[in-house]
Parts: sequence; C-alpha cells; structure tokens
Amino acid sequence: MDRRDFLKIMGSGFASIAGADLLIPKRPLASTPGTEFYGILVDTTRCIGCRRCELGCAEVNGLPLPDISESTNQTVLKTPRKTTDRQYTIINKYETSEGPIYVPKRCMHCNQPGCVAACPVKAMRKREQGHVTWDVNCIGCRLCMISCPFDIPKHEYSKAFPRIQKCNLCWDRFNQGQLPGCVEVCPTQALMFGTRRQILEEGKRRIAANPGKYVDHIYGEYEVGGTSHLYLSAVPFEQIGFRNDLGTVPYPEYSTGFLYAVPFIFVLWPIAMLGMNRGTKKENGEEKEEHHGEETDKGKH
Amino acid sequence: MRRTVLFLIIGVIYLILIAAGLGMVYTAGEPVPAKEREIAKPDNKISIAHAEIFGKLERPQVIFDHKKHEEAAKSEGCGTCHPVNDKKKLLFSFPKDVKGKDKEAVMRAYHDACIGCHKQKRIEHKKSGPLVCGDCHQDKYTLVKPISYPVVEFDFERHDKHVKKLKETLGKDTCRQCHHTYSFEEKKLVYKEKTEESCYYCHDLDKKRGPEVAAIIKVSAEKGLSMQNASHQECLNCHLEIRKKKGEKEAGPTECMKCHTGKYKTTAELEKIPRPDRGQKEKSYIYVENAKLKGVSFNHQTHQKYSKTCMACHHETLKACKECHSLTGKPEGKNVNIAKAYHDMFSEHSCAGCHSKQTAKKECAGCHHNIVAMDLETMSPRKDTCALCHTGKEPLPMPAPLSTSGLKQDKIKEVTVKVLEKEYEPAKFPHLDIVNKLAKISNDSRLATYFHRNIQTLCEGCHHRSPVTTEAEKNTPPYCRNCHMIVYDKEDLNAIRLLTAYHNQCMGCHDEMKIKKGNSMVFVEGGRCAVCHKKKKAGPAELTTVKNQRVYNQNKKIILNRWRPD
Repeated sequence: MDRRDFLKIMGSGFASIAGADLLIPKRPLASTPGTEFYGILVDTTRCIGCRRCELGCAEVNGLPLPDISESTNQTVLKTPRKTTDRQYTIINKYETSEGPIYVPKRCMHCNQPGCVAACPVKAMRKREQGHVTWDVNCIGCRLCMISCPFDIPKHEYSKAFPRIQKCNLCWDRFNQGQLPGCVEVCPTQALMFGTRRQILEEGKRRIAANPGKYVDHIYGEYEVGGTSHLYLSAVPFEQIGFRNDLGTVPYPEYSTGFLYAVPFIFVLWPIAMLGMNRGTKKENGEEKEEHHGEETDKGKH
Repeated sequence: MRRTVLFLIIGVIYLILIAAGLGMVYTAGEPVPAKEREIAKPDNKISIAHAEIFGKLERPQVIFDHKKHEEAAKSEGCGTCHPVNDKKKLLFSFPKDVKGKDKEAVMRAYHDACIGCHKQKRIEHKKSGPLVCGDCHQDKYTLVKPISYPVVEFDFERHDKHVKKLKETLGKDTCRQCHHTYSFEEKKLVYKEKTEESCYYCHDLDKKRGPEVAAIIKVSAEKGLSMQNASHQECLNCHLEIRKKKGEKEAGPTECMKCHTGKYKTTAELEKIPRPDRGQKEKSYIYVENAKLKGVSFNHQTHQKYSKTCMACHHETLKACKECHSLTGKPEGKNVNIAKAYHDMFSEHSCAGCHSKQTAKKECAGCHHNIVAMDLETMSPRKDTCALCHTGKEPLPMPAPLSTSGLKQDKIKEVTVKVLEKEYEPAKFPHLDIVNKLAKISNDSRLATYFHRNIQTLCEGCHHRSPVTTEAEKNTPPYCRNCHMIVYDKEDLNAIRLLTAYHNQCMGCHDEMKIKKGNSMVFVEGGRCAVCHKKKKAGPAELTTVKNQRVYNQNKKIILNRWRPD
C-alpha cells in the first residue's frame, strides 16, 4: 500500500465514523423548562367504592354511562375487572385484612411509557405535561397492549375501524384549565390532582402524619421508572391487585440499547470492513496470479 | 456395518434415557408439605421434648400422663420423682439427679428414672408402665405439637381470695407467706413489710429491667427460678401441705388444668374486687420541684380500678414514678425524664398515653380520631387542656353531667343540608339527637366527664378547627361552608372542598364508631347514599360541563353509529 491509499482509507474511515454519528437518533430533550408532569394521587383509604369516578369519566368522554346504583355495584364489584374500550377507569373491590378496599384502576401515565415506545405510528404520545394521550391516527395494531405492564390500553374489537382506547388524563379539559372528570366528581377526594412533585409530597406527608395508617410505600414512585398515578394503601399492594415484580427500569430502556446500536452496526461496520478488505489487498497482483494458477491446473488434467 | 448399527442403537437408547430424565426433573412437582400438625389438648399431660437440649428429635416426643402417675404414687408422695430442696420444699423439676446438661446426660437421667421405676414396679408385681422404647416414644405423637399450657393470670380476685383465706386461718403475718424480696447483704430471701410486689418483677427472666432489679433477676436466673418454676414452687408446695393437713376440699388446686384454665377476667369484671392493701394513699399530690406548671392531684384509688394489674402503670417497681424519673433523667429510669414519663402519648405506662388509648375506643373515636393531642405544626399542647390536670393540691370539681337543655333547641333540632343539592335530595341531619347521644356517652365515663367540662367541648368534635372560647361565647359554632369551599381550590388542590367535608366527616365518624347505618363500607338495603339523602327521581344531572371535546365527539359517533351493538 502506498501513502496515498493509506490516507484515502484513514480519511474515509474517520468520515464514516463521523457520519454514523448522525444516524444515531438523539435522545429527546428534557421537558421545556417551566413545565412539570401532572398526575393523580389515589388514596385507597378514602375510596368508598361509589363508582362516581366511572360516571364522571363516561360523561366527559361521551361514553355510555355505567349503572352505579348500589344494588348493581354489589354484583359488579364481586370480581376484579379490567378497563374496557368503553370504560377508561374502573373500581375494583378487594377483601383484605383491613376489610374491603376499593381501588380505582386506570392508565398510570408512566414517566417513560412502554406504549409510547411501542407505537409504530406515534399515535401514543407522552405530552410535556405528563399526559399519555392517544390520537386518531391509531391503526389498531395493539402493540401498546402488549407493552403495557398494567394492561390498560384496550382495543375496540366491536368496530370496523378499531382504535385503542384508554384514559388520557382529560387532556382537552386540562388545556381549558379544568380538573380531570374523575377528580371533580369524587365525593371523598380520594383522587388528588396536581404536579407530580406536589402529589408525591402530599403522599409522603400523609404517610408521615398518620403513622400506622398507610403502608410506607407510594406505588408508582419508582415502579417502571416512575408513573404519574401514585397510590397509597393501608395494606401491602399485592393484596389490592398491584404487581410487585415490575422493577424500576422503564420499559423503553430495555430495548434502547439494542435499537441505538442498529444503525451503528448496519452502516458503520460494513464501511469499516469494506475499507479494511480493500486496504489489505495488493495492487492487481495476488488475485490474478491465483486465477492463473487454477487454469494451469485444469489444463493439466 | 454391524458395529455402526450397534452404536446407533446404544446412542438412541442413551438419548431416550436422557430425554426421559430431563422430563422428570422439569416436571417434578413441589415438595409435598408435611401434614398439618395437630394440637393436643393439655388435659394434665406434659410433653417431654426438650427442643432446647435435643434440637431435632430422633424419636417422637413423649406425652406424659402426669395424673396417672400422681394416682399411682399417691401413697409414696411427690418426693419419689421430684427433688426436695434444703428447706424441705419440692422442686417441680424432673429427673431428680441429672449429671450434666448435654444430650446424653439428660436422656440417661430420664431413662434411668422412668424405666428404673417401671422395672421396679414390675418386679413387685404391681401395675407398671412401658419398658420398650416405642411404647413411650409413640409414633402417633410425631405430628403432634408439644403441649403448652395457657398462662395463669393471678388476677386481683384470686389474690383477694388468698388474702381472705389466710386471714381466716392465720390471722396475721399473711403477706409474709408468699411475698419476699432478696437481700444482697444477707444473701437470702427476706420479708419487709409494706414492700410487697408482684412476682413478675424479679422472676420474669425474659424482661430487661433497670440496674437494681436486674441484679436480683440475675440471682433468680442463677437459681433457675423462672416464673414457671418459682410459681410452681410457691403455690404447689403450699397447696400440697394444706391438702395433707386439711384434705382436698380445703386446699387449693394441685392439678394442672385447675389453674391453667385459659379463662381470663376482664378489667370490668375485676372492678368491684378490692385491691391489695399495702398502705397506699388514696390521693396523692404529684409535683416536681422547680416545675413550670402547678402540681397534679392524682386520685390513686379510683385509678386502681382501671387496669388488671398494678404493673400497667408501675411497670418496673411499685415505687412512685419520680423515684426513678427525675427532671433531667436518671440511669435508673433509662434516662426518661419525668415530663416524658407522665406525658408520652404512645406509652402504656404514662398518664397521657393511657388516656389517649381510652379515646381510641369506638364510643370516643368518632370525634377523637381527628383531634390531635398536640399540634404537630407548632409542637405545642393546648394550654386549656394542661390546666385540667395541673390544678395544684385540689383537683377541679367534677362538672355536672352534660345536657343540651341550655342550648337554643329550635336552631339545632334538625339541620337540612341543601347547599350542594343537585342529584340527591337535601340531607336531613338529626343534629340534636346526635348531640344528646354524645352527651350520654360522655356522661357514662368519668374520664370523659372530667375533661369535657361543658357541652361546647362536644361541639368541637365536628365543628373542628374553630376557636372554642369565641364559639362558646357566641353559642353558635360555624357552618361547614364557612371554611370549606364548594368548588375545588385551584391554588391548593389538597384543600378539602365542601362535598368531601360532609362525606368524610359524617361517614368518618360512623366508621370510627362502628355504626352500621351510614358506614362507608357496610352495604345496607337500599344503598349507602339513601341513608342520608335519597336520589332524585329525575335522571342523573350533568356532573361536569366541560367535555374532552375530541374524544367526546369520537365516542359519541361510535355509540350512535355502531355497526354492531355492544
């Protein structure tokens, strides 16, 4: 190899490394200074299982109004339910050592949602104010359903053009300065709306000011990297239907390592290896000689 | 060719075996849990297992029928099996002579004693017990939990019975029969008048006590005088003696089950029983030199009735509190200063702690679960509460029973809450009835009567966070809506709004007082809401007005234009 070729190779190598840097997607910037995530603190010791949050949510979202008379509640609350494509929030009743405990179940609006990372058309979006909203460009592929650790997004199986449905923390109402529908109608203020910082502080204050009343853990503080829906409970969370095996790693983080390595490997390495291949060959010489050798052999036979 | 085929066949067999083995390993179930251990009824039987010496037993435990043996050895007396100490008192341990504490020695001692006696009886052609291993170490006892007897509570009634009986028979020197203390100078048990205390102080070897008593506990431990051994020694020896002298009718119980009944008396049942008389004063004046507040006049006689043992308050010794607890704290009192000793809210031994425990009862908890004894923000108590105890040499006179007759009855007879009327009818609230009921509960308790000095104190239970003095003057506590906003306070999203105030205050009280009607958790016929306010006939009014517009439009379309009904 002569000097010129060596310089050509090194130059192209460095250029390709620099170019590959452009291929690596940049992490999104932290939220614009001045905006904070909003969330809801759910105090399960205050919930009386009246299900008015379900009614309020259905009303503000144009969904069919559930029947929440007490006689219906007794049958409906017998077994734990899941959210449905027509019910963004539901109440479940659990019999525990402290008596019956009612737990509202709805989208946790995770800090780093798995559904947002999984959505191929960016219909699921995490807004800067913390709301995880879904949009009309949803194609109904249900990848978000697979990726949600809390099993929240639900598919409209009964529709011809199905979309995913889930709680969106009343994004539209929030932009008009209103509280979420469920928060506004709860008669015992089991739901407290505020910035994540405020509700986390309030959760910790309630635990400290009432020794022995709550389990010393706020569910959602660190689970899957933190969620915007925080829960307080008087009994261990497994007893009221919460998973305790989720870990503190946000779900998108499990695949970012691999995903960010893909362009690197598929673009940079071939260039580098091609460069090395070309760079380690002699001028014209070797190849032709080999070829020549074979022919002579064949000729002999 | 043939060799290859052979190898192939062997290889296939190996593969099948490996696959089968792996299959068995990965489908093996959970280890089957051992069968439930039964609990045998005590029934005057004793378990010989000695887990502390033998650890895991090689042979099943022995369940020893003490009653049978008692009857068999009636003529010879207890001394055949049980050792006797230098004062000719029986020590209820077995075997008589154990040459060491290790497994071998203990086992040998038991075998020598039991089998030796059985062999002897057999030689004498009398009824005898088993000689073979398996007849004592019966297999059926493997799954039986070692027998344990319920603790004996020597409550005031039993004590009073003994005092009366002894006075009858002996006339004087009755306390001396059981009570003693240990003197380090004379290195023996002595009796000092007016210093009688509970056995538990010196013989409860598990409890950690202050330096003075701990030294005595060390001596008890050295002599092996745990509560069990000490009480058996004291009680049974006396009972056996009387049985010998006066026959079985006069004597106290000598059978296990007669004392270890498992039935205990409640404080209420023991209220009328006279407490042991040790020359204690009826009333005492508790004061501390150089203290900021006046002293407290303490009625010891009435307080004696409120607990099952003296140890509830006199947790370390029967002396006065200030002998171990000083203003700055002494090592004898674990450095707990006198203020903490009397005012600790969470201790069972302090005045304030016991009183706050009383307010946690369901008759009181309706109001008291919300009343903080001390303001946690400013960390200062309320001066008017202090003045109720710190009155000087004389206590405040007991106030008259509470009554609502002095209040403006027509104003508070029935309150209708219609400020939030929307979906439900206005709620009618039987205000006067509730106040009367609370007054009755207060009047039934001496503690409550003393502290709730007038009816306005009761108002504070619900009309909280309002200055008592001004309200008492005006005689009109504030309405809930004077402090709680109807709408959400955007600046303070945690502030309780009016709807929540009504629901949480009312239902909270019903929950704490365990009242079924109006309880937040107990379903009643017709629904919980209807107990206070019935739902209006017309359909649900709109709860909220602002909609999530995009979602609302989309969902409305879906519901209206469904191609397949849900």
